[in-house]
Amino acid sequence: MRLELHAAPEEVMRAVEALRDFARAQCLSEKTVFDLALALEECGSNIVNHAYKRDARQKFNVAFERNGSAIFVELRDRGPQFDPTKVQCNPPANEDEPPGGWGIELVRHCTDELQYKREGEENVLRLTKRLIPKEGAT
Amino acid sequence: MSLEIQIQEGVVAASATTTVKLSGSLDTSTAPELERHLAPLLAREGGVKDLVFDLAHLKFISSAGLRVFAATRKQLKERGGQASFIHLQPQIREVFDIIKALPGVAIFKDIAELDRYLAVRQRSHLEK
Repeated sequence: MRLELHAAPEEVMRAVEALRDFARAQCLSEKTVFDLALALEECGSNIVNHAYKRDARQKFNVAFERNGSAIFVELRDRGPQFDPTKVQCNPPANEDEPPGGWGIELVRHCTDELQYKREGEENVLRLTKRLIPKEGAT
Repeated sequence: MSLEIQIQEGVVAASATTTVKLSGSLDTSTAPELERHLAPLLAREGGVKDLVFDLAHLKFISSAGLRVFAATRKQLKERGGQASFIHLQPQIREVFDIIKALPGVAIFKDIAELDRYLAVRQRSHLEK
């Protein structure tokens, strides 16, 4: 499935809902559905808030598919070059400050692989979620 | 999935307590809505000191939601209060755990556990 989205939070959640529907149709566990939704929410929000600075006229693409025992989610945007795989979760200066890089830290925990490449003018981020044995068996 | 926010006044450990019940999804789209609801509670004049977030019906949370909790906790702490969290569902708890989001944050199984904690805290304040 491929979606073209405007750079707005509501559009990120439209993609998240579509991914949830797709994952449930694949009979994946609710834990896997949650992990996929969270990973896409965080990556999509990064594009909206940082690559496009909430300019809803800008567009980005989300695609997802199942290939054997894994789900792949790909995000493409035409914002400035940015490799989120290089982002570190910085500890906060004190316990009252949220640390930087929370979103990417969540993505790392919710997926098995995170790959980035710059293709022409596009940032391409590919997330891989491996399914546990027998999950989504049809 | 939308976010429903219910704010209730009640009594916990013999103190007036404001409980914020969240249902649905606390995400990039709905987090600003929660911020708007919390703003009057966190106002400098007449704002609350302690807040309890009841997450029994919260199905989804992302870093956008965690940041609202972190900011709320910081403001309450500055006035000597605290934010407490009860009834976290397993997946929500896991997100808190991954981030270790709110260091020192008070998470309780249910209102009874929170009640016991606050009673002990009040006793220790009185003894000082």
